[in-house]
Amino acid sequence: MFGRIRERYREAKHKFANVRVDASSYGPIPGKIKAVQARLDEIFSQCNDLVIKEISCGKDGRIKILVVHIEGIVDRRLLNQDVIHPILDYLPSVQSEDSSSIYQQLSKCIVISSDIKEVHEMWQAVNFIVSGDAVIFIDGEDRALVVGVKSPEGRQVEEPDTETSIRGSREGFVENLPTNMVLIRKRIKNPDLKMEIMQLGERTKTDICICYIKGLANEEIVREVKERLGKINTDAILDTGIIEQYIADNRLTLFPLVGNSEKCDKLAGKLLEGRVAIICDGTPYVLTVPYLFIESIQATDDYFDHAFFASFMRLLRLLALLTSNLLPALYVALVVFHHTVIPFKLMITLAASQQGIPFPPFIEALLMIIAFELLREAGVRMPRPIGQALSIVGAIVLGEASVAAGIASNLMVIIVAITAVCSFVVPPLIRATMLIRFVFLAAANFLGFLGIMVAVVAVFTHLCTLRSFGIPYLAPFSPLTAHDLKDSLIMVPIWAMITRPKILRQQENVRGVKGSKRQEVDKGRDSQKG
Amino acid sequence: MTVKKDKGRKALLILLLIFPLLLAGCWNNRPLTEINIVAGMGLERTEDGKILVTVQVAEPGAIQPASAGGGSGGEKSKPVFVASNEGETVFEALRGMLAVVDKKLFLSTAQVLIIGEKLAQEGIGEILDFFERDYEVSYLVDVIVAKDATPDELLRIESDMDTIPAVYIKGTVENTAARGTVKKTLLIDLFKDMDCKGRQPTAGQITKSSDKEVRTEGLAVFRDGKLAGWLNPYETRGFLFANNELKGGIVNVPVDNGKAAFEIIRSKGSVSVEVEDGKPSMLIIRVNAEANVGEYGSGGRLDSLETLYMLEEKLGEEIGKEIEMALEKCQKEFASDIFGFGIYLHKYYPKCWKEVENDWHNIFSKLPADIRVDAKIMRVGLVINPVGKGE
Repeated sequence: MFGRIRERYREAKHKFANVRVDASSYGPIPGKIKAVQARLDEIFSQCNDLVIKEISCGKDGRIKILVVHIEGIVDRRLLNQDVIHPILDYLPSVQSEDSSSIYQQLSKCIVISSDIKEVHEMWQAVNFIVSGDAVIFIDGEDRALVVGVKSPEGRQVEEPDTETSIRGSREGFVENLPTNMVLIRKRIKNPDLKMEIMQLGERTKTDICICYIKGLANEEIVREVKERLGKINTDAILDTGIIEQYIADNRLTLFPLVGNSEKCDKLAGKLLEGRVAIICDGTPYVLTVPYLFIESIQATDDYFDHAFFASFMRLLRLLALLTSNLLPALYVALVVFHHTVIPFKLMITLAASQQGIPFPPFIEALLMIIAFELLREAGVRMPRPIGQALSIVGAIVLGEASVAAGIASNLMVIIVAITAVCSFVVPPLIRATMLIRFVFLAAANFLGFLGIMVAVVAVFTHLCTLRSFGIPYLAPFSPLTAHDLKDSLIMVPIWAMITRPKILRQQENVRGVKGSKRQEVDKGRDSQKG
Repeated sequence: MTVKKDKGRKALLILLLIFPLLLAGCWNNRPLTEINIVAGMGLERTEDGKILVTVQVAEPGAIQPASAGGGSGGEKSKPVFVASNEGETVFEALRGMLAVVDKKLFLSTAQVLIIGEKLAQEGIGEILDFFERDYEVSYLVDVIVAKDATPDELLRIESDMDTIPAVYIKGTVENTAARGTVKKTLLIDLFKDMDCKGRQPTAGQITKSSDKEVRTEGLAVFRDGKLAGWLNPYETRGFLFANNELKGGIVNVPVDNGKAAFEIIRSKGSVSVEVEDGKPSMLIIRVNAEANVGEYGSGGRLDSLETLYMLEEKLGEEIGKEIEMALEKCQKEFASDIFGFGIYLHKYYPKCWKEVENDWHNIFSKLPADIRVDAKIMRVGLVINPVGKGE
């Protein structure tokens, strides 16, 4: 079966390759302006947003030039001020018959923009036009001038809804790639911060930026990222989520092997740890690789807070993670198999809550969990104003009424509620948890605690086999890297985190100088005085 | 070719890893609603020599009606029901009970195991075997012996204090054990002592004091697995003092023209045997007790050392008296070494023990005893000038 799928995939790939050749076979830019116009009309047929402005110049206005752009995605003011105005003002004074000298004048003196490029191929010119630049064709020249007048318009920089923090920056990424690059550059003012732009997606021509700090990021990982991105062979990149699926090491695992964030300060932190970021035009979600398991229980706030609180919160998050995975399973195992370990009083409570429930605990748990997942999904999909109605239905009908009607025991409602709350504590793993929970539940129902144990071992084995860009997923726990444990479950204060995580294998490992802690600085000062 | 081989090996490995799961034992998946939660158990010998098993089963729905559940309105159902059944063996009686009750009996939740006087007199070794063998019975259940009442009667009382009578009974055992008038005996203690020649088993005593109340005080003394007799609460306390099992209690001491009550805070007791010429010559009991003055209504101020020394001495005497009573009863009446002198001999004079082992009951009951109690008063309470006694 897989063989046939693979064959089909290969066929599709072959066809796709043909399409690609067509797209870039527009040929070189013709020397005659008439031919250029004809080509453009042909390529952009039925594209009513294309604007072609014809300007005559040279001796007796014999030389014609075309300014081509697409309405709406260029910055109108910039276009007028940098291109149209100067051309209309100065070009008539150039009394030359030579098209190349006009070209020289245009590119050197007249057009004011700092972003001017020269292209020779038609497909390049078309690329620039569709991505929002203005292209100037000159009669008699087989090259064109590209002026960068892209409109920066888009959403304002806002606080991201998906990742809120109590402390720390409120700036989140937006859909516009240059803005996002600025947001990072603003935080790391260093020429070592490299931003390499490439285009992906045969049809969408999406700009992708690979961002890393030279000297901190592992060269091998940077190379690997570029290689994997280069191998992506698709016609549409609409979101980093698509890139994520293409570049992940293990494409079938439930666990996230590529991190994503909307927060600028978080991303800056990741870059400074030596990770590589992938920004994609059109989405505020920025990818970071390598992504390790431990990152899912780290939060940006941790680093801005006292290490004690941060460590406590991390342990709490781990507890929540375990609870949201295992609680329903443990409950079912306890109620169905292991009556002997329940204290007498608790047993009475448990048995009382079970009385009159027509379903076995496993089915009951399954029903309640699925009901909860439905509610959650409905909450995401529905239009905002309906939210209130949904929460009422969820709370009253599913919670109260199901207990009153004797469909579910009140204890099960509590269990599912705790499970649900806990699953929201560790957002990166919500989806993995959602599915794994059922596996644990089934194992508990068939084999009790033993079954849970087997399932847990299986999941851990799977986690141990995972790699993110060559880095073991469970690092620093497996393989145990004592050096990196300082920023794991228990976090040492920020002034004691002198070195960067070793597991990422950077060249430059020291973060700060020993003794930058306040007291030690004071001590140093005192001893100098003495 | 090699790839195929590898795949085959992997499949085999996974299969082998799955098999042990099936070896792991009990496979019974049984929801809580399909078992009867046994709160208490009673065992008694009937007139015609059969064993009568009584179980008290908790009805969770009646105890916690908050969970609407099926919502059978009307009269409130009873929190427990009691069922009993006769059989040649314990196991048979228990299984036979399924003809009467609706769901399988779940025994590990049993809070108390009450053994009838008659059955105890005839010997408990035979019935204990079932409890030792069955995996479902908790070894940590409290064992008590019923005096002047059958377990059936005791389990059928309707207590006002706790909805589940067995829980109420267990509560009284805990209380009196803390006061030192009953020895809390777990099933596992009984198993241990039954097989031990150096110490005879004991168990708490329970009587029915009214229609709705029980009284757990005193001790049942066994000899060779059969009930030999009872110790009263004071003797029981004496036994616990000697055995280093006393957790607290109130000791009354007659002084001058009234009584003083002492609260035992800590007590350390030890038993040993003096051996002369390879033969046990004397039983030795040493107790160090620490107490607070709880009540001293008659004596006036407690501010001189002399008074305190005097009180300490009297307290020691009183404790010694209790121990003596217990020991004497065990020696003269029951000829049963519940103190564990035999264990001491076994440990420190194994050769000597080998000789006396088989006749220990007789030898024990004839040995003289040396009991020494060292009592200390730690605190005298908040009062310096008691009401009406101030000068």
